[in-house]
Amino acid sequence: MDLYPLFDWLDTSLLADIAKAYGGVFAVVQMFHLLGMSILGGMVLVGDLRLLNVVMKDTPSEVVIESTHKWFGIGLATMVVSGIFMSSAVSLKLYYSEMFWAKMTALAVGVVFFYFVRRPLLSGSHSAIKPSVLKLMAVTSIAIWFTVAASGRWIGFS
Amino acid sequence: MGVCLAPCDNFKRTNTDEDCHSSMLNEWLLSLARFLDAQNWSTQIHESIYLYAWIETTHVLTLMVFLGMLFVIDLRMLGLAFPNVRASVIAERLDRPMMIGLALMVITGVLLYYAIPVRTTQSLWFRIKIMLFVFAAINAFAFRARMQASVGSWDTDPKPPRHIRMGAAASILLWAGVVVTGRTIAYDWFDCHKELPYAMYWAAGCVDEMAALASE
Repeated sequence: MDLYPLFDWLDTSLLADIAKAYGGVFAVVQMFHLLGMSILGGMVLVGDLRLLNVVMKDTPSEVVIESTHKWFGIGLATMVVSGIFMSSAVSLKLYYSEMFWAKMTALAVGVVFFYFVRRPLLSGSHSAIKPSVLKLMAVTSIAIWFTVAASGRWIGFS
Repeated sequence: MGVCLAPCDNFKRTNTDEDCHSSMLNEWLLSLARFLDAQNWSTQIHESIYLYAWIETTHVLTLMVFLGMLFVIDLRMLGLAFPNVRASVIAERLDRPMMIGLALMVITGVLLYYAIPVRTTQSLWFRIKIMLFVFAAINAFAFRARMQASVGSWDTDPKPPRHIRMGAAASILLWAGVVVTGRTIAYDWFDCHKELPYAMYWAAGCVDEMAALASE
């Protein structure tokens, strides 16, 4: 499916006009993007480091993981909304950027992994899951979200 | 106010003690930046195809680690997350990964400054960022002291007392300020080569431009 019409439409939208005309607004939205990423990253790291037995070893991992879900969603929503605004300023350039598509792929993998693998698997008692599986899941999750953040920064360099 | 003497001769328009000292500080900072800029390593990092990008990427990733941990702690102190985990447990257990993130973020930040020292020294946004960073650090130490002094009485409460919530909110706002000013360093709105009011040149430390305006 060719998404070019969507990017072309975004390039001429009101969002794009605002993003291109007001650098200050763009910078503030960029701040929200980074804050959203930090909230999401913090929740992922706390949960995954707990699964790896690195932090909060005296708190049940079920409690830690359950407490991160709401703020993970808030961080992700903040990232996506601010990301659409930021994309509108350079949407046609992004369409042809390999790094942008690498980030989008990593983001899609991350969302699918979180909502369809990690969350359902960790919704019950963690003692019923092999420790090696928990650790593998944590490492995979950290790797995916670090890839999302790093590839996002590299869009600016590509 | 007294009159500034020889070291500030370039700044005849602003020759009060206060302006003189800030001008001297700006001159000293610019001299240091030019000294760093003349070093081979600085040029190599700046002109490297990948090294600068990797340092900046690491800066952003460690920012995510540091701010991520900070947000978890601050959201707990605001009563918005982890309500069934003791506040002291969150603060103590996440302190080490947060400080590791902070240390790496500062190291990579210093390297980024070292790669482009002159422009960064004369960036209004960088100056505001450093001030906010200092305020955020002071707030963090004060917040930690206040928390340790009183945590026994509210440790298990889902919603901590007002003064703790205020400290956590200040922390989030100050760090948000550090992030936004960090991002705006890249913009050239108030760079020295632009035509700006004298006060802006002063705030950004545009020593040569201030001298040129003063001599007109």
